[in-house]
Amino acid sequence: MVHAGSMYVIQKTERTVVEMTLENGVAGLGETWGTPDVYALGQRFAKELLGKDALNRFAFRELLGKSTYDNRFGRNGLATLAGLDLAAWDAVARSLKMPLAELIGARRRESVDVVSTLPAAILPKAGTRKDLTDHLDVPANTKLVVEFALEQARKSGFRSFKLKSAAYSPEWDWKLLNELREALPQARIRFDPNANYGAATATELCRRLDPLGLEFFEDPTGELEGIARLKAAVKTPVATNMWVVKDEHLVPAIRRQAVDVVLGDLFMWGGIDAWRRMARVSHAYGLKPALHSVYETGIATVANLHIACALAEVQYPNDSGLHFLAADVVAEDLPVKNGAMALPAGAGLGVTLDRRKLEKVTLESVEIHV
Amino acid sequence: MAAPVSIAHTHVHSVRVGSGAEALVARVLSADGIAGFGFTLNLEAAVARDMAAWDALARAKGVPLHGLLGGSYRKAVNLVKDELPAIPPDWTALRKDILDGRHELLRIDPFAWGSVEMVQTIAAVAAAFDLGIALLAPNAHPWEIQYCAALAATIKGEDTKIISRKEIKEKEVSVPDQPGIGIDWPLEPSFSKIQWQR
Repeated sequence: MVHAGSMYVIQKTERTVVEMTLENGVAGLGETWGTPDVYALGQRFAKELLGKDALNRFAFRELLGKSTYDNRFGRNGLATLAGLDLAAWDAVARSLKMPLAELIGARRRESVDVVSTLPAAILPKAGTRKDLTDHLDVPANTKLVVEFALEQARKSGFRSFKLKSAAYSPEWDWKLLNELREALPQARIRFDPNANYGAATATELCRRLDPLGLEFFEDPTGELEGIARLKAAVKTPVATNMWVVKDEHLVPAIRRQAVDVVLGDLFMWGGIDAWRRMARVSHAYGLKPALHSVYETGIATVANLHIACALAEVQYPNDSGLHFLAADVVAEDLPVKNGAMALPAGAGLGVTLDRRKLEKVTLESVEIHV
Repeated sequence: MAAPVSIAHTHVHSVRVGSGAEALVARVLSADGIAGFGFTLNLEAAVARDMAAWDALARAKGVPLHGLLGGSYRKAVNLVKDELPAIPPDWTALRKDILDGRHELLRIDPFAWGSVEMVQTIAAVAAAFDLGIALLAPNAHPWEIQYCAALAATIKGEDTKIISRKEIKEKEVSVPDQPGIGIDWPLEPSFSKIQWQR
């Protein structure tokens, strides 16, 4: 079986794993995007962090520098920073013998509901774009996605689902979402066409979808203006992880009343404190922060659990793609039970690297030391 | 919210400080036996308890307050005289006024706003709206100034300062770097009894 997300098929994910050792010998784990740019930038930043005080993660942001209007590394800079920042938070939390959640805020709960991603379509085998569009032209094929959702609910008790839409035809999405609602009447269902519908088409579709009582429309369209007009026209909450993705986006989105939910990605926002500030500011103005994720290893998955447990502002389930990965790099099993993942016990993230597992999936590694 | 510390015992004392004013001093005993202290010169004990819990946790971990909050933006902060009134502790009103552009500098009395977490939230909003924060030491008592300095460490922005409405000697105050909130209790001669509580 092959899962088509948007108009592409994801067959692998590459991540950068960070291990940061402090002078006291305690090591912390971090993770971020695995693109060549971020991997290279990570080495450069890591060199500059040698000798710096891990207790002062605020100072890490100086790595980004400042050009006249933005940081000079753009989103790669923020993502790289987030990976190193996470490793430092973990190392400090382990040194202080505190769960990461406590260092972020408090250990308010022990588990977090997670979202099962549903593909736009399920094809019998990998094929061309034409194979995908042919498949999407057959309305009866929606049932494969519904069956997959039911299987996820049966297997792991998922109560929350995210339909990734190819935004190929509103009719496919309309039919599929109705069938999902009927099959899973109690479930939270979020609908994510990745802003691939134009504002007019998206607004018309979302108005029709309103009576289904979906959890939210995630990036039904874009940019901020389009999504703001759509939000004004529908009752269902509107979320984004595309148009409000860094500090400077927040106030304009609040003023424009553009969205209800800021589906913040730790790696886009640039680290734990940036995410925490986003959550506090969002909450102060009636927006709801939630945790976005793609296909991440156990390290980032657990980091997101800690953030969700630590901050009272987080009330939505976490995105999580871990259970779709064929391999992980941490030793601990991180199962989804009753639709939720448990916060690991112990200090820091509460997970440890499994060197054997890591070696199996390593493409490249580098050590940076004094 | 108080600090994430397992609290075994909390005690609030009313004492008279050297100036003759009444102070509430809270002691929090954490489950691992470390005592932390907080105080207020207004009559609302909650802020003293919150401070004491953070102090106990930071002492137990051997780090200054900013070590628990993620970092420090400065080593020192200016203390200046400022006669304008502090913003009343009404979050609903303040949020709206910020949105309406009614503030440039937020004059915040951290004792009136009640907790470290509340100050962190105001600081996050101020940073998002590019506003400065001035922390008011309401009686210009040395303990108040130290607490404000400990908080100022975690507040972003060049405009961050400590203000006093009273006549004071304007100076640069160091951000406390010792474990806890860094209040130097013997600063208040009549309060030497704090030693008893440890």
